[in-house]
This record gives sequence, structure tokens and C-alpha cells, in this order.
Amino acid sequence: MNRIEEARIFLKNKCHHAYRRELSKHEWSQISKEIADPALSMEDRAALRLKKFLENEKIIRHPGEKIYAWRTIKSFPDIYAEGEKEQIFASHYIHEQGRVCNISSDWAGVLAGGLLTRKTGNRARDITIDAVIEYADRYQDEALSNAVRFGAKHYEDALKLLRILHFSLWASNVYHNTLGRFDQYMYPFYKKDIEAKLITEEDALALTEEMFLSFNRDSDLYTGMQQGDNGQSMMLGGVDRDGNNAVNELTYICLTASLNNRRSDPKINLRVDKNTPLSLFIRATELTKQGLGFPQYANDDIVIPALVNYGYDIEDARDYTVAACWEFIIPGKGMDIPNIMAISLSEIVNGVIRERLSEAESYDSIFDSVKRSLSERAEADAKKLSPIYIESAPYQSVLMSDFTHDISEGAKYNNYGVHGTGFSDAVDQLAAVKKYIFDEKSVSKDELLSALRTDFEGSRTLLSLVRNNAPKLGRDDECTAIADALLNAFADALSPLRNERDGVFRPGTGSAMYYLWHADTLPAMANGHLPGERLPANFSPSLLVTDAGPLTVIRHMARPALLRVMNGGPLTLEMHDTVMRNQEGVNKVAQLVKSYIMLGGHQLQLNAVSRETLEDARIHPENHQDLIVRVWGWSGHFVELDTAYQDQILMRTSYQ
Amino acid sequence: MKGRIFDIEEFAVYDGPGIRSTVFFKGCPLRCKWCHNPEGLDFSPTRVTKLQLCMHCSACDSVCPSPGKCTGCGACEKACPKGLIRIAGREVEAKDVADQILKNAGLLMQSGGGVTFSGGEALMQTDFLLELNSLLKPLHTAVETSGYASENVFQRAAKEMDLVIMDIKHTDPAVHKEYTGVDNELILKNLSWLMQSMIPFRIRVPLIPGVNDTEENLTSTARLLEGAKALEMIELLPYHTAAGAKYASVRKEYRPGFDTSIRPNAITEPFLLRNMEVHVL
Repeated sequence: MNRIEEARIFLKNKCHHAYRRELSKHEWSQISKEIADPALSMEDRAALRLKKFLENEKIIRHPGEKIYAWRTIKSFPDIYAEGEKEQIFASHYIHEQGRVCNISSDWAGVLAGGLLTRKTGNRARDITIDAVIEYADRYQDEALSNAVRFGAKHYEDALKLLRILHFSLWASNVYHNTLGRFDQYMYPFYKKDIEAKLITEEDALALTEEMFLSFNRDSDLYTGMQQGDNGQSMMLGGVDRDGNNAVNELTYICLTASLNNRRSDPKINLRVDKNTPLSLFIRATELTKQGLGFPQYANDDIVIPALVNYGYDIEDARDYTVAACWEFIIPGKGMDIPNIMAISLSEIVNGVIRERLSEAESYDSIFDSVKRSLSERAEADAKKLSPIYIESAPYQSVLMSDFTHDISEGAKYNNYGVHGTGFSDAVDQLAAVKKYIFDEKSVSKDELLSALRTDFEGSRTLLSLVRNNAPKLGRDDECTAIADALLNAFADALSPLRNERDGVFRPGTGSAMYYLWHADTLPAMANGHLPGERLPANFSPSLLVTDAGPLTVIRHMARPALLRVMNGGPLTLEMHDTVMRNQEGVNKVAQLVKSYIMLGGHQLQLNAVSRETLEDARIHPENHQDLIVRVWGWSGHFVELDTAYQDQILMRTSYQ
Repeated sequence: MKGRIFDIEEFAVYDGPGIRSTVFFKGCPLRCKWCHNPEGLDFSPTRVTKLQLCMHCSACDSVCPSPGKCTGCGACEKACPKGLIRIAGREVEAKDVADQILKNAGLLMQSGGGVTFSGGEALMQTDFLLELNSLLKPLHTAVETSGYASENVFQRAAKEMDLVIMDIKHTDPAVHKEYTGVDNELILKNLSWLMQSMIPFRIRVPLIPGVNDTEENLTSTARLLEGAKALEMIELLPYHTAAGAKYASVRKEYRPGFDTSIRPNAITEPFLLRNMEVHVL
């Protein structure tokens, strides 16, 4: 058995859990006292915390191992003194955990230049540099010690260095900060070694596999909504900063490494455009076939101009990657908070229908009310976001392109992202009202309103009409104009707003966990949605539409108005795994993906699932420990998810 | 003109080249014991119920004006509070079917795909088939057929298609009759005409464990195909255990008459020996 296969089995059997320990009570309180010292600035405390953390980490080295670092301490005290955190949190807006998250480092710069050139005389940041160098030195690997100081020279050193930097980043208490454009920043090292015949392509593949496996070592300890939600996203392919095609050998090597490993990390994203050859889509579809829920595709033709419209410089826009899930961010230069807000579009539309329908004279007046209501909600919610508090992050700051200030205070880009959830159900509500109340006049306003008030009790015929026969996005063409209008209304509602860092608000098509949270509070709606029913993940047809075909779905969801709604959030298609059972099926799925990109779709995520397997996993979880599914912007082990998420996944349509 | 179909499937992966939409025609002259589209067997409409979510409230039965013989009136469809009922096989205009498919024409063409007419048995509704086919041109079209049709009908339809996909379920007339309900004489006649024509065609064998997955049957199938002018390939379709799943939803009993737990043998040698392209789907 080779080294990589051994490493896979070692991980799978969770043998490394034996390395782990919790700090003793005594250690915890000692360290806590030292770090959370009110005499120190928050910045200094954060730096000291990382130093202490790394000093306490044990060095584990397996024979033959090239990529180091196993987390040995499960949790570590934070930087706040008694009562301090509560006080700060009470007087500020706190996003998630109040720490830097969902951004991407300047990996290209750090790997090439090392850490020493990033010393600026700022005490806290310099302390973190020394702490990471000291930690790296404990592995007694000359190449690594040089790389961490002065930059990597070879592919293997660059990987070793990235591992240490990334491991330390998690230890520094920031989270969901992503791996960025791996095949781009690693390529110079790879190319040099290949040209000098220092390594072969097979060597590079094995190293890449080992590197990718290392992202799964400690991921169960990392913070997230559910097990697997850890933001270790990676972007492959795309163009360089000058707009030239930048797909390279490593793009393919990374896809193969992920396919061979079959692990949920790193979460692979692939940038494509209308000129991307079918062969790359085919290779990527072979990965989809493994059932891990990636790659997720992003379309350069749409994303880049959309980012420029939001005010990003064209070179930076071309360099985009994804945040933890799907939000588009700029590595090294962005301190965007791409998931700071979520607006339930279904709730807005439903509210307008219930409150305004009786006096509305036309469909247009209903839609005008939707626009007004969206603007009011956006403005009100945006106001709640300041003053924001984000914990100082000296080490993450060191890893940014501009390393001369604390990243928690902002960077070149400081935009906020807003998820729009229940999009398709919102469109379908409007379509039903337009058709039956205003165009055909076959349903009276009172009839619909009273049905909504009573959850359609006693209105079964009407329920059946709006639920099954009414126009639905993904099935009926009359919905596409409404979809564009709603996307534009969403964009219009956010475009006048600015955040306290003078950033814009980017509307998006993601849902994150709101597909459950927002659904929990939705009452009966004009599209036949009943209380307690689920919403689809991200940008997908309503779960009530069970007879949509994938061709119509991709045509409907490739909306021109997406150019203004580009925070991110993919069309999600579930494919029955038998579709890809042979090469012919794989090729055709690849062609389908290419078609969505050609049509101008923005982002696409495909799942190969088998309902039978998922149902069996509910009954016999012990037989399906390895079953990985896509949850929203990330993949995780099906058997480790809460039942509510398992249910939603089972509700999704799968195309046979 | 009007015809009966029971489904249009977008992105049919195994029904010919490229990305395709497949139209399922209602009604079939055969009664194959392994049929996995039981809702397509009768020409008359069929009520299909998604049973997994059914609460058995009987709302459907209580409104049915014609118990035992579905007329396709759709009262049950409207009555079901959960929207689990679908009437398969209402009458539709060829033009409406074509319009629906043509909305995706760009996608179908771009991939070198097109439309496949399947069923049921598409040749049972020849005039409807040919009208629909002409409305879809210039898209690539294919018919997927049992070959059980009069020679006149078979030839008239085949000549209008870019591809014919035809089943050979068994070469032995008696076994054929036992498992499909009909003799294979007509099928073999149509096959021999097809083999002499220049119309591109594919042969499909649904592999049924213990019925036709023998060396002997597959060898005689391969022999039959020797000398075909435009045979593209042979596709072997191993029987899938999920085939019986739909019967309950159309209130039919699944009586396969063979051991469904055995994996069929996918023997490709007889075809390869004769330099015929063969795929196991």
C-alpha cells in the first residue's frame, strides 16, 4: 500500500483522534489569565493567544509524511476577560461569532515571499509571525524553515508552507477563511520543478493528494453550523489578472486528487466561461460522479462584469474566488462580509399579497408594492448592522496583500452581501396572482385571501390549482419575466444603501441555512406552499415543482438580471447517480453544465444522489458513514446532519 | 391532430446521441413482464399516484365518476390535497407537444442531440407520430420501438427518422410470446427490412435474468444482425430491480415471472466477435 492510501485509511479510521487532548482546568485558567489581560490591547491579546496556542501544540510526524501538522489541542481560551465580551457584544452589531471570517488570504504573496518580509514593526502582527516561524521550526525541516521565513522555492515546500500557514490561521481563531485559487498560486512552483525535472506529474499528484487530505485532519474541530460547514473552499481555473485563460496542469491534478481522495475537503470550485472546452467539464463531471457535491461552477463571463459593476477593479474582479460557500470575494484584498444579511423574498411577496391584494387594481400595483416593501425591509435591516464589532485578527492581517493594518478594520473592498431566499417560491406566488386574479380573473381576491388565512382548509380545489397547475419557475415560461423583475427589484432595493465602511450591499441568490430558518416562519402562500414546508437550497425551482425538466430549469435560471444579483448562490441540480453510470452519461451531464454556462448562468452546483441510498442511510446510518452530500454551500457527511437538513435533501427533486 | 402521450422527459441520457428530450407515447401492443413503464401500457388514460406521501384520505376515489375505467377527466387530480395524482395519457395536440419541446431546441441542437419518440409504442399512433416528427424538424429525431407494427407502418415511420432504436427481446418465437405476449415474426420481418435500408439504427436488448441473457440467445441475436447496412451499435440494458416500483402507483400488480434478485449476464462477446459496437447501459 502506498503512502497516500495509508494516510487515507488512517484518517478514515480517525486514528489521529488519539493525538488530541483538552487542556486541563489548571492549564486553561493559567493561559486564560495570561491572554485575557485587560492591560493588553485586543490586538496584543489575539497575537499572544496564537503564540500560546502554537507553543502548546504537540509536534506529530508520521514516517514518510511530507505535509505536517495535526491538531492536538481541541479547544483554547479566547481573549476576553470576564464579562468583557458580553459588554462589547451588547453595544455592537455582531456578525456570526464577531470574528474575521469568509475572506481569502494573499496566498500567492505569502508563499512566494515568506513571512519575514511582512514584518512592519507592529508588535502584535510581528509576534504572530515569530510564533508561526517558531512553530514551523519545531518540525526540524530545513526547507520548511526557509520557506516560512523567505518564501517557498519548490512545489513540495510551498505545500508544506501552505499547510502550516493555514493550520495556524485556524489556530488564530478566525474561521471559514478560504484556500483561494490554489492552482494559480501553486503553479509557479509546480512549473519550475517540472521544467527542472525535479518532480514528475505523478509526484505532484501524490503531494497534492496528501495536501488535500490534510484539510480533513482537524475539520471536525472547526466551527460551523453543521459538521462539514468549515469554509475550506478552493477555486480552480479561470483567467489571470490580465484576462488570459489560466487553466493549467494543476487544475487537472487538483480535480484528480479530489476524485481519488473522496473526502469532503477541500470543497472544489471551478471557474469556467463560454470558451471552456468540453473536456474540462467532462473531467469535472467525473468528480461530480463521486457524489461529493462538487465541483461547483462559476461563470467568469457573468461574475467578472458583475463584480466590476459593484465597483471592483477589473484586475481584482478577474482574480475572484469564493468565500466559504459561494459568495464571490477577492483574495488578499477583500474584507467583504458576503453573508451579513438575508431577506426572505417569499415572505415579502406573501406579505404584500395578504395586505395589498384586496385594494390592488392591477398586477403592476401589486408588484410596485413588492418593490416598496423590499426597499423598506432592506433599509431597515441594513440600519441594524452598525456599529459593527469584529475581533482584531493580527495573524490574518499579516496574510493579506496590504499587511500594514488590522484586517478587522477593513480592506480595499468592504462590501456586504445579502442572501435572497425563497426566490422561486416568491416568483411562483406572483405568477399565480397575476394569472388567476388579474389576467384570467378566474379566482376572486377574497377567495385567495380567505384560503391563505385558513391554510387552504376547505379550498382544496384552489390549493390544487395554485400548487400544481399555476405557472412555476423551472417549468413554465411565463415566470421568467417575473423572475427578472424580482431580481431587479431586489437589486434596486439594495443599490442606494451603503454600509458604515462605505461598501455597497450586494444582492445574492444564496440561501445558506435560511432555507430552513426562513421556511419555519412562512405561512400558507399563493403558490400553494403550506406552513411547515421547505424551501429549496439557493437558486433553484420551488420544491413544490416536481415535474420540471433539467433543460427548462437551466434555461429559466440563466436570467439576464443576475448580472445585478451577483453576491453568489448557485442553481442546484440533483442528478440521480445512475445518470452518470457510464462515460456517455458523464459526457452528457458535462454538456448540460456547459449549456448552462453558454446560456449565461452564473453559478451551478450538481449533486449525484440516489434517493434509495439516502433513505437507507436514514435507517442504517452505520452502513453509510462515508456518504457525503451537499447541504448548502458545503458538503458534509449525511449521517452527521440534523434530521431537518436530511429531510430537506430528501425533498429535492432528482432528475433521472 | 391529437394523440396520447404520458410524459416528456428532458435530458434523456440513454435515448440516442447528445442531449435529448424523449416523448413517451401511450399504449403498447406488448405486455413484457419486466415492463418498467406500466403507466404507458394501456391506450386509455391512467391515474398515477405518488404513494410515498399518500395519506389514503380517499378524496380521489370519492370524486371519481368512473371507477375501474379511467376516462382522464382529472377530477381526482384536482381533489388530491397533496397534489400526488397525475393523469397519464390525456389527449394532446401534436403542435402543443412540439411547441413545448422546441422551447429547448437551442440546447438540444447545440449538443448534437434531439428528440426521441418512445413509449409505450410510438408506432401505435403513426399519424400523430409523423405529424409531431415533421413539426420538430430540423431537429434530429429518433424512434425507440419494439418493432411490433405492420410492415407498412414501420417503414413509413422509419423513413422519416434520423435514427431507429429497436428492441430485440428474444430470438425464439415461443419464449418471446411467453414473456411479451406477442410473437416475434413481425418484429423480425421489420428488422430484416431495416437491415437492408440505409437508415441508421441501434439494437437494444433489455437483459432479463434467466430469460434472454444467455450466450445462446445473444449469439443468435448477433447472428441476426450480420450484414446490416447501417447498424450503429448494440445496447444491452441490464434489468434494474427498481423496475417494479411503479406498479403500485398505477394500481397494477407486478408479476415479473423471473427471479428479479439475480443480476443479468451482460455477455458482449457474440457482438464483439462480429465487429459490432456494443455498450452495456
